[in-house]
Amino acid sequence: MFPANRGAAVPDSQIRALLEHADDRTLVERTVDGDIRAFEVLVRRHGPLMRAYATRILGSNDEADDVVQETFITAWAKLPTLENPALAKGWLMRIVSHKSIDRIRARRHHSSLDNLDVPAPDHHSPITAVEALSRSEALSQVLSELPTNQRRCWELKEFGDYSYAEIAEELDLPVSTIRGLLARARKTLIREMEAWR
Amino acid sequence: MTPPNMPDATSDWYLSDNEPGHLDGHTIEELNDYLDRGRVPANLSIDTSPACQIALASLERLSSAMSSLLQDEADRADVRDDSWVTAIMDGIVRDARSGRDIPLEHPSPHARLFVTEGAVRGLVRAAGDTVANLIVGRCRLDGDLATPGAPITIAINASIYRGESIPALAEQLRQTVAAALSAHTELTIAAIDVTIQNIYLTRHDPEIGQDTP
Repeated sequence: MFPANRGAAVPDSQIRALLEHADDRTLVERTVDGDIRAFEVLVRRHGPLMRAYATRILGSNDEADDVVQETFITAWAKLPTLENPALAKGWLMRIVSHKSIDRIRARRHHSSLDNLDVPAPDHHSPITAVEALSRSEALSQVLSELPTNQRRCWELKEFGDYSYAEIAEELDLPVSTIRGLLARARKTLIREMEAWR
Repeated sequence: MTPPNMPDATSDWYLSDNEPGHLDGHTIEELNDYLDRGRVPANLSIDTSPACQIALASLERLSSAMSSLLQDEADRADVRDDSWVTAIMDGIVRDARSGRDIPLEHPSPHARLFVTEGAVRGLVRAAGDTVANLIVGRCRLDGDLATPGAPITIAINASIYRGESIPALAEQLRQTVAAALSAHTELTIAAIDVTIQNIYLTRHDPEIGQDTP
């Protein structure tokens, strides 16, 4: 009357396959209970997106790898405090944001964070040259060419799901400045996107 | 270029410095905030302006492009060896999850035996994983764990695949876990409560069923 058991000794590979099908909530719950295989599935599931995000913010793959690694080690320790396990992805992205911004602060003397509105590189007609690229690739290129602060605000808002006030706090800038930076970023992105369509 | 004194709703606001002149008196920020609020409460002036509708459509296109951009970049990233996963798994403190110590009875008054809560949860999980068409999530031990022999209630969250009988699978999980606990521990189990928290719609794409109550 019952479906067949998987058998008394379930091979590790079979458990891994099972966990790959599990939702985040289940994986977080198991991780909190000490199941390292569930945690590893979370790492593999969300790590690549987190790395892409950290790479955007930091502009470096190597540093992004470090940030993703630190993020997951923090996550393992802090996951029991996550109130809604289904929201793990956003929570992980938030930690990546913090850690990435911390690194930018640490290298502040090299960066233009204090230097509002560094002019964008003056090759703003790349869209015609990249017509063969996908929409994402083209947009990614436009995004990369935004002035640093505009780009950073935009990325925190779009990819990190930050509010204006949170961006202001993270970047130590007034909310009014954040609004202005986002408005300019939005306008440039739309102009380039519409030109490309 | 449209002079500010000759607003032309059909030309592109994003090529101009005079947004209100192109957007029937509105700014793109206003429109963006309107979108962020889910167009609630409805703004008749925006809703009836063709120029605003065109601009809103642009904003929505940008937003949808952005939401796929990062994933596309992640997908395009070079396939790496597994060392990044290994580095993470080597970095975590594994014994952080052992939980409370549960004393076990022992004939000698000088011997003190414990099993950790984490070990019991691991046992429950391993038993649950043998039940087909079901995935175990959280496992909680409720009761006076410090007193040997005190009754303990096990609360288990689980997900199942659509089409399976919830009562039958829950019962099978209960029996399997009870058998494992009785074979490997001396805990007094008062009850094993099973909560089915999610039903996966398909076996190969569980993400579709990810909306949990």
